[in-house]
Amino acid sequence: MSAVAAAPVRQRVALAVLNVLPYLVAVAASFAAAGVFIALMGFDVARAYQTILFTSFRNANAFGQTLNKFVPLLLQALAFALPLAGGKYNVGGEGQMLAGAIGAAAVGILLPDLPGLALLPLVLLASLIVGALWAALPAWLLYRWGINEILTTMLLNFVSFSLVDYVATHVWPDPAAGHPTTAPIGAGGVLPVLLPRTTLHAGLVISLLVAAAAYVFVARTTVGYELVATGANPRAARVFGIHVRRLFLLSLVLGGAVAGLSGGIEVAGVHQRLIEGMQSNFMLLGLIIGLIAKGNLAAVPVVAFFIAVLEVGASAMQRTLAIPGEMVFIVEALILLFILLSDRLRKR
Amino acid sequence: MDGWESFIGLARLILLAMVPYTLASQGTMLAGRAGVFNVAQEGIMLLGASVGFLAALRGGSLWVGMLAAAIAGGLLGLALAYFTSTLKMDQFVIGLALFFVGLGASSLAFKLLVGVTLVLPQIPTLPDLKVPLLGDLPVIGPILFNQNALVYLSALVSLGLYYYLYRTSWGLELRAVGENPKSADSLGINVTAQQYAATIMGSMLIGIAGAYLPMVYTGTFTQGIVQGRGWLSIALTFFGGWRPGLIFAGALFFALVEVGSLRVQIMGGVVPHQVLRMLPYLTTILVMIFAFRWVRVPAFLGQTYDREKRSLS
Repeated sequence: MSAVAAAPVRQRVALAVLNVLPYLVAVAASFAAAGVFIALMGFDVARAYQTILFTSFRNANAFGQTLNKFVPLLLQALAFALPLAGGKYNVGGEGQMLAGAIGAAAVGILLPDLPGLALLPLVLLASLIVGALWAALPAWLLYRWGINEILTTMLLNFVSFSLVDYVATHVWPDPAAGHPTTAPIGAGGVLPVLLPRTTLHAGLVISLLVAAAAYVFVARTTVGYELVATGANPRAARVFGIHVRRLFLLSLVLGGAVAGLSGGIEVAGVHQRLIEGMQSNFMLLGLIIGLIAKGNLAAVPVVAFFIAVLEVGASAMQRTLAIPGEMVFIVEALILLFILLSDRLRKR
Repeated sequence: MDGWESFIGLARLILLAMVPYTLASQGTMLAGRAGVFNVAQEGIMLLGASVGFLAALRGGSLWVGMLAAAIAGGLLGLALAYFTSTLKMDQFVIGLALFFVGLGASSLAFKLLVGVTLVLPQIPTLPDLKVPLLGDLPVIGPILFNQNALVYLSALVSLGLYYYLYRTSWGLELRAVGENPKSADSLGINVTAQQYAATIMGSMLIGIAGAYLPMVYTGTFTQGIVQGRGWLSIALTFFGGWRPGLIFAGALFFALVEVGSLRVQIMGGVVPHQVLRMLPYLTTILVMIFAFRWVRVPAFLGQTYDREKRSLS
């Protein structure tokens, strides 16, 4: 009896190891490659590694900062991974985030006196809607005329940069700030802090809920199943009566909503206002996370957390050891390439 | 004669702005005609700008910079060809990954060799070369025949690519690979070799397009130097129907929009400059709506050819 039951368990463990192993190898190989490079530049490799990997866990405050970074990364990765499930590439997460941030700031500035119970949901809802609308244009162009979504979503990012600049210098400017910045939003629109004596805000809870919802949507609903079927083989999906183009539209708009929410959370949780340049490089990292997770929505949060740790470590490394933080960006790109490569080799 | 002079000045600026679009777009087109859809332009151009600037700074000559940028672009092209053509991996995913590599490597190289300074080192900008006789013509002379070498080069590259694709048997083979690699393969055309050659040469052109930016506009490298020109050049390639002649003409339009919106920004007026800065991107999206309805895209663009696999097409 136990021998019969043991076989599948052992198989399953073996399969799990086989799935995780390429990731470990890819991470190790990327770190080794970067280590050689760091050593060649004349820096202390051991201290560099130590800083990259352990800065996040040194104290509660550092850990809170890491989680605060994890929130936009997770949402940006989801904004990319949701359309990816259907085979479409949303590389406009940056624009959608900023559009959402503008929406959030607008509500927070125009209705400053509402109590938190009303204002905070409104701020976040505004970011969600404006982000979805920002993605709706490329989604509709794809739906109506089949225009390549990579191009249109990316081009709209550049439009959003100018729009943020305009809003922050002409519409609701903060004249005291030396940088394009809007006035602060009402106090009721600010996300509460989760842990006392850290900066960790409640956006973490929201982002985890969104990640769970995205997973349930794709893995457990009919529409989600149709989306995955479309991503796997659009031609076959069409033959089986799935309205492929409508799914493309839906998935891109959903991605836009999630990206917009990431902007709203940054406004409500971190800056309390709209600041030019607040998009940082969250979208690029989100793309890397989505691609490393190979679009697997259950894996996205894990990868996003790992990348958040690397990013916090990277800025610490740049501060204390003067090693350029870009080094970590290369490491992340290498991890991605190694993982893609290992995938390819396994299929042989 | 003041009207003439400002017209000449504007026309010269437009030709100047055409160059990066033309080179990057022709490079995209070349790989695309072999079936490889390169989406790493933005990263390749950034790397080209950074490496080209640094090599010119250290090597003391702009041509050293151009050469280095071409090699850097070619290396990314080699990687793209290796992953997609040899390993049969997804072209968009690899393209995005190489975009990240270019993005990171460009500012890493700059930080390592220059460091973080307030005073950015400068390189001289490309000098104008006057064509004998033709350069002395009124109006046309200063516009067309008194420009920097890359303006001439981008016209020559466009002409050369037209000749190569439509008047040589290699070009015919290359186009066949992009349309139907299976039949090309069965006729004894080396599909892999054609894709490698087209992707690497195309990426070299994109690298040079990147190096042009510090050498003509700024004299130095900044992270925001490319400003979406790589993505715009993909749009331009669609706009030009993946044909060298039309791409050259389309580049004129893209340059016109860029220079035009800059010119209006400088003049000032009621329209805020942020709105004008959006114009090139919004115009491009608008143009795509029209381009996508009549454009004929290489039939195998973006797909992976594996001779050992059964396929429906």
